[in-house]
Amino acid sequence: MAEKKNTVRVEDDNYTHNIDRNNERALDRRGFMKTLVGAAGVFAVSSLPWGTIAAKELMGLADKEYPEHKIADIKDVKVGDSVEFHYPSEHDSAVLIRLGENEFVAYQNACTHLRCPVYWVKDQQEMVCPCHHGKFDVKTGAPTAGPPRRPLPEIIVKTKQGSVFAVRVKRYEA
Amino acid sequence: MKRSYIGVITLAIILFLDIICMQLLVHQFFYENYGNVLLYMIIMIILFPVAFIIYKKEKHKGGGASGK
Ligand code: FES
Repeated sequence: MAEKKNTVRVEDDNYTHNIDRNNERALDRRGFMKTLVGAAGVFAVSSLPWGTIAAKELMGLADKEYPEHKIADIKDVKVGDSVEFHYPSEHDSAVLIRLGENEFVAYQNACTHLRCPVYWVKDQQEMVCPCHHGKFDVKTGAPTAGPPRRPLPEIIVKTKQGSVFAVRVKRYEA
Repeated sequence: MKRSYIGVITLAIILFLDIICMQLLVHQFFYENYGNVLLYMIIMIILFPVAFIIYKKEKHKGGGASGK
Protein backbone atom coordinates (compact mmCIF):
# COMPACT_ATOMS: atom_id res chain seq x y z
CA MET A 1 0.00 0.00 0.00
CA ALA A 2 2.81 2.32 0.78
CA GLU A 3 4.00 1.95 -2.77
CA LYS A 4 0.80 3.31 -4.21
CA LYS A 5 0.19 6.94 -4.67
CA ASN A 6 -0.58 7.78 -1.16
CA THR A 7 -2.81 10.76 -0.59
CA VAL A 8 -3.14 10.01 3.07
CA ARG A 9 -0.78 11.66 5.45
CA VAL A 10 1.46 9.10 7.07
CA GLU A 11 0.22 9.93 10.50
CA ASP A 12 -3.34 9.27 9.40
CA ASP A 13 -2.48 6.05 7.62
CA ASN A 14 -4.20 3.53 9.77
CA TYR A 15 -6.85 0.90 9.26
CA THR A 16 -9.69 3.36 9.13
CA HIS A 17 -8.28 6.19 7.10
CA ASN A 18 -9.95 5.02 3.92
CA ILE A 19 -13.45 4.89 5.31
CA ASP A 20 -14.69 7.91 3.54
CA ARG A 21 -17.92 6.87 1.98
CA ASN A 22 -21.08 8.83 2.64
CA ASN A 23 -19.26 11.11 5.02
CA GLU A 24 -18.96 8.39 7.58
CA ARG A 25 -16.00 10.08 9.07
CA ALA A 26 -17.19 13.65 8.71
CA LEU A 27 -17.58 13.90 12.44
CA ASP A 28 -15.33 11.39 14.04
CA ARG A 29 -13.71 11.73 17.41
CA ARG A 30 -10.99 13.98 16.09
CA GLY A 31 -13.38 16.16 14.14
CA PHE A 32 -15.53 16.49 17.20
CA MET A 33 -12.57 17.59 19.29
CA LYS A 34 -11.69 20.12 16.62
CA THR A 35 -15.18 21.53 16.85
CA LEU A 36 -14.89 21.81 20.61
CA VAL A 37 -11.58 23.65 20.34
CA GLY A 38 -13.08 25.95 17.73
CA ALA A 39 -16.01 26.69 19.99
CA ALA A 40 -13.62 27.51 22.84
CA GLY A 41 -11.90 29.91 20.45
CA VAL A 42 -15.17 31.57 19.56
CA PHE A 43 -15.92 32.01 23.25
CA ALA A 44 -12.50 33.53 23.87
CA VAL A 45 -12.90 36.01 21.02
CA SER A 46 -16.43 36.93 21.97
CA SER A 47 -15.33 37.83 25.48
CA LEU A 48 -13.00 40.50 24.10
CA PRO A 49 -15.50 43.29 23.39
CA TRP A 50 -16.99 43.00 26.88
CA GLY A 51 -13.51 43.11 28.33
CA THR A 52 -12.48 46.18 26.36
CA ILE A 53 -15.56 48.10 27.43
CA ALA A 54 -14.94 47.02 31.01
CA ALA A 55 -11.31 48.14 30.82
CA LYS A 56 -12.39 51.49 29.43
CA GLU A 57 -14.87 51.93 32.26
CA LEU A 58 -12.23 51.01 34.79
CA MET A 59 -9.83 53.59 33.42
CA GLY A 60 -12.58 56.12 33.67
CA LEU A 61 -12.66 56.88 29.97
CA ALA A 62 -16.35 56.23 29.73
CA ASP A 63 -17.09 58.17 32.87
CA LYS A 64 -18.54 61.14 31.12
CA GLU A 65 -20.90 63.37 32.92
CA TYR A 66 -24.14 63.62 31.07
CA PRO A 67 -25.81 66.97 30.90
CA GLU A 68 -28.97 67.42 32.87
CA HIS A 69 -31.96 66.50 30.85
CA LYS A 70 -35.37 68.02 31.26
CA ILE A 71 -37.98 65.29 31.43
CA ALA A 72 -41.26 67.12 31.90
CA ASP A 73 -43.00 69.95 33.64
CA ILE A 74 -44.35 68.99 37.01
CA LYS A 75 -47.82 70.25 36.16
CA ASP A 76 -48.04 67.82 33.24
CA VAL A 77 -47.48 64.76 35.40
CA LYS A 78 -50.28 63.89 37.76
CA VAL A 79 -49.51 62.01 40.95
CA GLY A 80 -49.38 58.31 40.11
CA ASP A 81 -48.65 58.90 36.46
CA SER A 82 -45.55 58.13 34.48
CA VAL A 83 -43.68 59.70 31.60
CA GLU A 84 -41.30 57.99 29.24
CA PHE A 85 -38.09 59.66 28.26
CA HIS A 86 -34.61 58.84 27.09
CA TYR A 87 -31.53 59.17 29.22
CA PRO A 88 -28.53 59.39 29.09
CA SER A 89 -28.54 58.73 25.36
CA GLU A 90 -31.27 58.57 22.75
CA HIS A 91 -31.20 54.81 22.92
CA ASP A 92 -31.69 54.36 26.63
CA SER A 93 -35.37 54.50 27.28
CA ALA A 94 -36.41 55.41 30.77
CA VAL A 95 -39.51 56.06 32.75
CA LEU A 96 -40.33 58.74 35.30
CA ILE A 97 -42.99 58.04 37.90
CA ARG A 98 -44.58 60.57 40.16
CA LEU A 99 -45.35 58.80 43.40
CA GLY A 100 -46.36 61.73 45.52
CA GLU A 101 -46.69 65.46 45.54
CA ASN A 102 -42.93 65.87 45.62
CA GLU A 103 -41.81 62.36 45.11
CA PHE A 104 -40.35 61.37 41.77
CA VAL A 105 -38.48 58.25 40.80
CA ALA A 106 -36.97 57.35 37.48
CA TYR A 107 -35.46 54.18 36.11
CA GLN A 108 -33.94 53.03 32.91
CA ASN A 109 -36.76 50.81 31.84
CA ALA A 110 -35.00 48.19 29.76
CA CYS A 111 -35.90 45.04 31.64
CA THR A 112 -32.90 43.44 33.30
CA HIS A 113 -33.99 40.09 31.97
CA LEU A 114 -34.05 40.53 28.20
CA ARG A 115 -34.41 44.26 27.79
CA CYS A 116 -38.10 44.59 27.04
CA PRO A 117 -39.49 47.96 28.06
CA VAL A 118 -40.84 47.92 31.57
CA TYR A 119 -43.85 50.13 32.20
CA TRP A 120 -45.68 51.50 35.18
CA VAL A 121 -49.03 49.97 36.07
CA LYS A 122 -50.86 52.53 38.12
CA ASP A 123 -53.55 50.34 39.69
CA GLN A 124 -51.06 47.69 40.72
CA GLN A 125 -48.51 50.25 41.90
CA GLU A 126 -45.85 48.14 40.27
CA MET A 127 -43.55 48.24 37.31
CA VAL A 128 -44.32 45.37 34.99
CA CYS A 129 -42.42 43.86 32.11
CA PRO A 130 -44.80 42.59 29.45
CA CYS A 131 -42.45 39.98 28.05
CA HIS A 132 -42.25 37.44 30.85
CA HIS A 133 -44.17 39.21 33.58
CA GLY A 134 -41.19 40.46 35.48
CA LYS A 135 -42.12 42.92 38.17
CA PHE A 136 -40.11 45.61 39.85
CA ASP A 137 -40.55 47.52 43.07
CA VAL A 138 -41.21 51.11 42.24
CA LYS A 139 -39.40 52.50 45.28
CA THR A 140 -36.08 50.79 44.70
CA GLY A 141 -36.17 49.26 41.25
CA ALA A 142 -35.50 45.85 42.76
CA PRO A 143 -37.08 42.89 41.00
CA THR A 144 -39.99 41.41 42.92
CA ALA A 145 -41.31 38.72 40.59
CA GLY A 146 -40.54 36.92 37.39
CA PRO A 147 -37.22 36.20 35.72
CA PRO A 148 -35.28 39.44 36.33
CA ARG A 149 -32.59 39.22 39.00
CA ARG A 150 -30.95 42.62 38.78
CA PRO A 151 -32.53 45.89 39.86
CA LEU A 152 -33.35 48.50 37.25
CA PRO A 153 -30.70 51.21 37.09
CA GLU A 154 -32.03 54.23 38.89
CA ILE A 155 -31.83 57.69 37.45
CA ILE A 156 -31.33 60.49 39.92
CA VAL A 157 -33.84 63.24 39.32
CA LYS A 158 -34.31 66.69 40.75
CA THR A 159 -37.00 69.27 40.47
CA LYS A 160 -36.17 72.81 39.54
CA GLN A 161 -38.39 75.67 38.53
CA GLY A 162 -41.45 73.56 38.04
CA SER A 163 -39.74 70.93 35.93
CA VAL A 164 -38.18 67.56 36.54
CA PHE A 165 -34.62 66.96 35.43
CA ALA A 166 -32.61 63.78 35.07
CA VAL A 167 -29.23 64.34 36.65
CA ARG A 168 -27.32 61.09 36.33
CA VAL A 169 -27.60 57.33 36.39
CA LYS A 170 -26.96 55.78 39.75
CA ARG A 171 -24.24 53.17 39.89
CA TYR A 172 -24.80 49.84 41.50
CA GLU A 173 -23.07 49.48 44.81
CA ALA A 174 -20.40 46.87 44.24
CA MET B 1 -10.73 -0.68 18.17
CA LYS B 2 -9.60 1.09 21.24
CA ARG B 3 -10.83 4.58 21.84
CA SER B 4 -9.63 7.31 24.06
CA TYR B 5 -12.36 9.56 25.30
CA ILE B 6 -10.22 11.56 27.67
CA GLY B 7 -9.66 14.30 25.12
CA VAL B 8 -13.31 14.49 24.22
CA ILE B 9 -14.35 14.65 27.83
CA THR B 10 -11.78 17.23 28.93
CA LEU B 11 -12.58 19.41 25.94
CA ALA B 12 -16.28 19.15 26.69
CA ILE B 13 -15.55 20.22 30.26
CA ILE B 14 -13.54 23.18 29.00
CA LEU B 15 -16.38 24.23 26.78
CA PHE B 16 -18.73 23.92 29.71
CA LEU B 17 -16.47 26.18 31.77
CA ASP B 18 -16.47 28.60 28.86
CA ILE B 19 -20.25 28.74 28.85
CA ILE B 20 -20.35 29.31 32.60
CA CYS B 21 -17.72 32.04 32.45
CA MET B 22 -19.56 33.77 29.63
CA GLN B 23 -22.73 33.79 31.65
CA LEU B 24 -20.94 35.17 34.71
CA LEU B 25 -19.07 37.69 32.61
CA VAL B 26 -22.21 39.13 31.08
CA HIS B 27 -23.88 39.36 34.46
CA GLN B 28 -20.91 41.03 36.07
CA PHE B 29 -20.83 43.43 33.16
CA PHE B 30 -24.37 44.58 33.75
CA TYR B 31 -23.76 44.75 37.47
CA GLU B 32 -20.91 47.11 36.60
CA ASN B 33 -18.24 45.05 38.39
CA TYR B 34 -15.80 45.69 35.62
CA GLY B 35 -12.85 44.16 37.44
CA ASN B 36 -14.60 40.82 37.49
CA VAL B 37 -15.43 41.16 33.81
CA LEU B 38 -11.73 41.41 33.05
CA LEU B 39 -11.03 38.40 35.24
CA TYR B 40 -13.55 36.25 33.38
CA MET B 41 -12.26 37.48 30.07
CA ILE B 42 -8.76 36.38 31.00
CA ILE B 43 -10.02 32.97 32.10
CA MET B 44 -11.82 32.52 28.81
CA ILE B 45 -8.82 33.59 26.79
CA ILE B 46 -6.60 31.16 28.68
CA LEU B 47 -9.06 28.32 28.22
CA PHE B 48 -8.66 28.48 24.46
CA PRO B 49 -4.94 27.61 24.27
CA VAL B 50 -5.50 25.00 26.97
CA ALA B 51 -8.16 23.41 24.77
CA PHE B 52 -5.82 23.56 21.81
CA ILE B 53 -2.99 21.90 23.70
CA ILE B 54 -5.30 19.13 24.86
CA TYR B 55 -6.44 18.63 21.30
CA LYS B 56 -2.88 18.34 20.05
CA LYS B 57 -2.04 15.81 22.70
CA GLU B 58 -5.14 13.75 22.24
CA LYS B 59 -5.71 13.71 18.55
CA HIS B 60 -3.64 10.61 17.89
CA LYS B 61 -4.74 8.65 20.88
CA GLY B 62 -6.84 5.58 20.36
CA GLY B 63 -8.47 4.47 17.17
CA GLY B 64 -5.27 3.94 15.27
CA ALA B 65 -3.46 0.69 14.72
CA SER B 66 -0.19 2.49 15.06
CA GLY B 67 -1.01 2.87 18.74
CA LYS B 68 0.33 6.38 18.79
S1 FES C 1 -37.66 40.65 29.38
FE1 FES C 1 -38.62 41.43 31.14
S2 FES C 1 -39.20 39.60 32.15
FE2 FES C 1 -38.20 38.82 30.39
